[in-house]
Amino acid sequence: MRSLRTITVATLAGILALALAACGSSGNSSSNANNGAGVAQGIKTPKTESLTGGKRGGTLTVLNHEDFEHIDPGAAYFTIDYEAMYATQRSLFSYKPNTFSETTPDLAAAPAQISPDHKTITIQIRHGVHFSPPVNREVTAADAEYALDRAANPNVANPFYLGYVGAIEGMKTAKGGPVAGIKATGRYTLVIKLTEPQAQIALDSLVLPYSAPVPKEYAKKFDESKPSEYGNHQVATGPYMFKADSSGKVLGVGYQPGKSATLVRNPNWSASTDYRPAYLDQIDIQIGGDPAVIGRQVLEGSHSVQNDTPANSIVKLAYEKFRGQLQLTPGGGDHYVALNNSSGPFTNVNLRKAYWAALDREAMNKARGGSLVTNVMTHFNYPEIPGFEEAGGLTGPKVDYNEHPQGDLAVAEKYMKLAGYPSGKYTGSQTLQVVGSTGNPAAEDAQMANETLKKLGFKTKLNLVDQSVMYSKFCGVVTEKIDVCPNVGWVADFGDPQAVLDVPFNGNLIAKNGTNSNWGLVNHPKINAAMEAASKLVGTATRARAWAKIDEELVAEAVAAPYDWDKQPAIESKDVSGVGQQWDIGDWDYTYTSLK
Amino acid sequence: MSIGAAEIFPGGAGGFDVVEASEEIAARSPLQLFWRRLRSDRFALVSLAFIVFLVVLAIAAPLVVKLLGLPGPSVENANLTDSFGSPLGPSSAHPFGVDQLGEDVMSRVIYGTRVSLEIGVVGTGIATLIGVVTGVVAGFYRGWVDTLLSRLVDVMLSVPLLLLGLGLGAACAVRGCLGGAIQPGLGEILFLIAFANWTYIFRIVRGLVLSLREREFVDASRSLGASDARIMFREILPNLVAPVIVYATLLIPLNILLEAALSFLGVGVRPPTASWGQMIAAATPIFNTAWWYMTFPGLALLLTVLAFNLLGDGLQDALNPRTAR
Amino acid sequence: MIRFVVRRVLWGVVLLVLVAALTFVLFRVLPTADPAKLLAGRQQNPKIIAEIRHNFGLDKPILTQFWIYMKNIFLHFDLGFSYYSGAPVKSLIFDRIPATLSLVLGGAVVWLVSGLSVGIVSALRPRSRLDRFSMGTALVLVSAPEYWLGLVALYLFATDIGQIQVFPGSGSYVPLTSEPGKWFTSLILPWLVVAAGTAAIYARLIRGSLIETMGEDYIRTARAKGLSERRVVLRHGVRSAINPIVTILGIDIGVFLGSSVLVETVFNIPGIGRLNYDAITHSDFPIVQGTVVLAALFIVVANIFVDIAYAYLDPRVRYE
Repeated sequence: MRSLRTITVATLAGILALALAACGSSGNSSSNANNGAGVAQGIKTPKTESLTGGKRGGTLTVLNHEDFEHIDPGAAYFTIDYEAMYATQRSLFSYKPNTFSETTPDLAAAPAQISPDHKTITIQIRHGVHFSPPVNREVTAADAEYALDRAANPNVANPFYLGYVGAIEGMKTAKGGPVAGIKATGRYTLVIKLTEPQAQIALDSLVLPYSAPVPKEYAKKFDESKPSEYGNHQVATGPYMFKADSSGKVLGVGYQPGKSATLVRNPNWSASTDYRPAYLDQIDIQIGGDPAVIGRQVLEGSHSVQNDTPANSIVKLAYEKFRGQLQLTPGGGDHYVALNNSSGPFTNVNLRKAYWAALDREAMNKARGGSLVTNVMTHFNYPEIPGFEEAGGLTGPKVDYNEHPQGDLAVAEKYMKLAGYPSGKYTGSQTLQVVGSTGNPAAEDAQMANETLKKLGFKTKLNLVDQSVMYSKFCGVVTEKIDVCPNVGWVADFGDPQAVLDVPFNGNLIAKNGTNSNWGLVNHPKINAAMEAASKLVGTATRARAWAKIDEELVAEAVAAPYDWDKQPAIESKDVSGVGQQWDIGDWDYTYTSLK
Repeated sequence: MSIGAAEIFPGGAGGFDVVEASEEIAARSPLQLFWRRLRSDRFALVSLAFIVFLVVLAIAAPLVVKLLGLPGPSVENANLTDSFGSPLGPSSAHPFGVDQLGEDVMSRVIYGTRVSLEIGVVGTGIATLIGVVTGVVAGFYRGWVDTLLSRLVDVMLSVPLLLLGLGLGAACAVRGCLGGAIQPGLGEILFLIAFANWTYIFRIVRGLVLSLREREFVDASRSLGASDARIMFREILPNLVAPVIVYATLLIPLNILLEAALSFLGVGVRPPTASWGQMIAAATPIFNTAWWYMTFPGLALLLTVLAFNLLGDGLQDALNPRTAR
Repeated sequence: MIRFVVRRVLWGVVLLVLVAALTFVLFRVLPTADPAKLLAGRQQNPKIIAEIRHNFGLDKPILTQFWIYMKNIFLHFDLGFSYYSGAPVKSLIFDRIPATLSLVLGGAVVWLVSGLSVGIVSALRPRSRLDRFSMGTALVLVSAPEYWLGLVALYLFATDIGQIQVFPGSGSYVPLTSEPGKWFTSLILPWLVVAAGTAAIYARLIRGSLIETMGEDYIRTARAKGLSERRVVLRHGVRSAINPIVTILGIDIGVFLGSSVLVETVFNIPGIGRLNYDAITHSDFPIVQGTVVLAALFIVVANIFVDIAYAYLDPRVRYE
């Protein structure tokens, strides 16, 4: 499986991508952020922001509606976790803010070397990088080795290691002790050995914070508690660190869960070893609060940014009165109504087409903030990803159920009849289980999707639960037999169409006992086979064509009813020179952002 | 909602008399007296009239909405939000404005009456029934039955009700729980009310029965060989009707507020069903730009609760003139 | 008296055990989201889920889990660890208590002072315009849900979004120890909202009981002695009318400490209620259980205190 990056959809604040950014493989960087994806004139995007010339010093206040999920680099997998991790931890490789596709050696001194059989990765570690107090000593390859070892420690509960690096020798059976295939062969040399030729995907994953070094002699005792308490006592290698007491304790000092966090300069960081400018002296993160209030405080206030999704009313206010303080990031993910392809009425392709035709996608997107921050989704690949234009670009494939973004009940009726309902209305007796997410705008979208079902004659039972519960307990769980999930969405790891289409729509990957990110349990043998074949292809153009074909197949089968391609908004105060991370859905990067 | 409950519901029979046939002047029945006193309370009468109005509104909601020329409560209209998705304010076509879905707020407020009254009446009915039966049994038998029930009530009253409701809401989402016995939404709230709020009625009824069972008329029927059940439900129960009605009336607004609070916290009534609390919750993210969406459901809730409180007050005064204004 | 207190306290402990048991049943036995699945992310692997379950002891028989849980609470005062942050629940809760206490105790002062003064003034001039106005306002306030009052107050008066910008708005809370002045101003609106309904109830109560007391014989005697009306009211009337208020105050504070979630949510005050609310949405059971047991503790302690105070204040109560 190539891509583990998933997206969760709105809580009170809107979308939060779980940014499991993947590697920067080959060059399919998208250069047309400002026109191709329809960002309004005069609004900046991560790619147009200047990375140099910031003023040094000052304290940035971050107002986040949401808390971190994890501050342990071994477990972090959430967009706002990532920004704190990237400011405090140096993973082996990382992304500069303006690129979605090119990684930079970070703790690594140079690009990794991959053996010709694709089974061995050799990485040289940079000299002169030191841990923050109380550890203080220089970082060695052994610290990177321990960091990767602990990914398999159940006390750390890293959620993705098996998918990315399961091919490392001994990883699948590891419990937190040394893993046979990960070895520091010298003070600065790390060698990773794999059982399968999957060096590229393993290497790709090293941009994630879990590859940031962890000093074993200090962390061991914390990793033994269940769950690990290392996150609450972590030491840093990046330009900043969570404020800590002299013993290194972060919890209650630099992080009060649900309340606040403070990042201060790491005294042991040396600018000469890092590419980050690190203009700011301190970052104060305040957690909680009404998104509408936070947004006003950021737009009208001073020295502050919001790092989760601003409320609709705030984006509107920013657009109308504070346009220079708004950033939009295309390629920030998608949203669609997942229809259960494996059980219930929507196993019938014509019912799926009827629903697609009937759905008022413009209204759905209006609830998300309108065309400023969304494009009407017309097929399943994204803007900015190879294969997107080949599959129809923004307007999408020319099929009648796709032609009217405002919904067309006449077309819907045609497909209802084809599905065997001569009256044009569903007459079956079954009540559909619809599970959506609470919070604005997810709840609004769920209600619209539900009303559309009713218009077609379905009886429905709409339930709104917290989005984490929606994903972990209902949508994509085979045994729950949920018919419709109106709030699901996906953010790709990197600029490759496979990363967009494989996990959500490949039926071969469906786990019978467990949750899936294939929320509609889409399982069409022909499409599955095409995906398997396309995944082995090499070369951007070839892959783009093959996956565009698959995209067309997905549309022909109407596997889900799409509605939104996001242009993720972010806001800053007028005296902040914010720089967003393109790969992290445009979240503000603390190491590049500066005060004016 | 537990707030205020302590004041409204005295422990035991504290502070008011049992209206009992033998104590009254023969010419007038206690009910007549009760009614005479109530009739002189203008506030209570206005409240009663308002409640009757609400009941009519709830029953005839579809008709009322139609007569007013409003769209139905779940009719979405994307043309009624601006290009950023912000809802439009009050206008002649939509006197209370619309919400983020372009649904008519007035129409939803009118339909919301149904949920509040259903919770108020059905929930209170169930709680009262449980409270009266357990209260009579505990007060009549005393001893270990009474101890057991009273201790159970102590436990119930120690459970933070809102937190319990939040947990139940999370636990019973989608498929319900206890084998489907508790369904999400209304079912869950009714369960919570039945589960927790019978305790107030229990305490009052128990206290009354404790004193009633010592009266002569109970001794009399016992000496005539009446069974326990007959004494409890034929002799004692009729004396409880008036106070139980009063306290049940005072319990109604508490239950309505509890529903609204749970819906506000996202674990009560689910959309598309219109509930005032859930509307206030949906209005919260935009309350600074769409004042109408927060204001009108809140006012509806306020007025309804106020009416029940005033009526309950009036009934209490009429029943027990000593505490009258 | 001592035996009475001891019995009351023992029963309080039993109550807590029962509430803890009830919470356990609700959150561990009823089908909630599986915390292991929540933690395991979106692409789940049965092996990871099994490991996490094992780690948290969720694979043990339910009765064993219950026993461990109760043992930890009552023998070690150990409430476990948050599934998410890994932080000890005890420290999370202690961290949040000051905010909730600030909110509720400050609110209690406001409702007590305003409730009593309005009630007394009304009782002195029953049926006057002032009386009618205060009692009318009181009834309206009793009937308004406090979270809605909070929103209205913010809409009208908050410095960031209000129409008349007077008081600091949502999210302005700072701990007393860091900036006392800011702490005070940030809590003005929440205090008023917390106090509104309760003050109204107190005003009605004290008014009712004062009017009743003023009709008693000993008050007539006091008047006959030629004492000034003000002195009669304050010395004799209020003193006897205040007993029920004291007992109710204890219960109210206990109940409010357990149900502060609504006001904390609206004003974004990082207290116990919000901790509980956030934990429930994440199925972070150890925190949920910890906060519910704590809220129950508040209620139980308040009740014990009230019983003892009542017994002390009212000699007619026997300590059975």
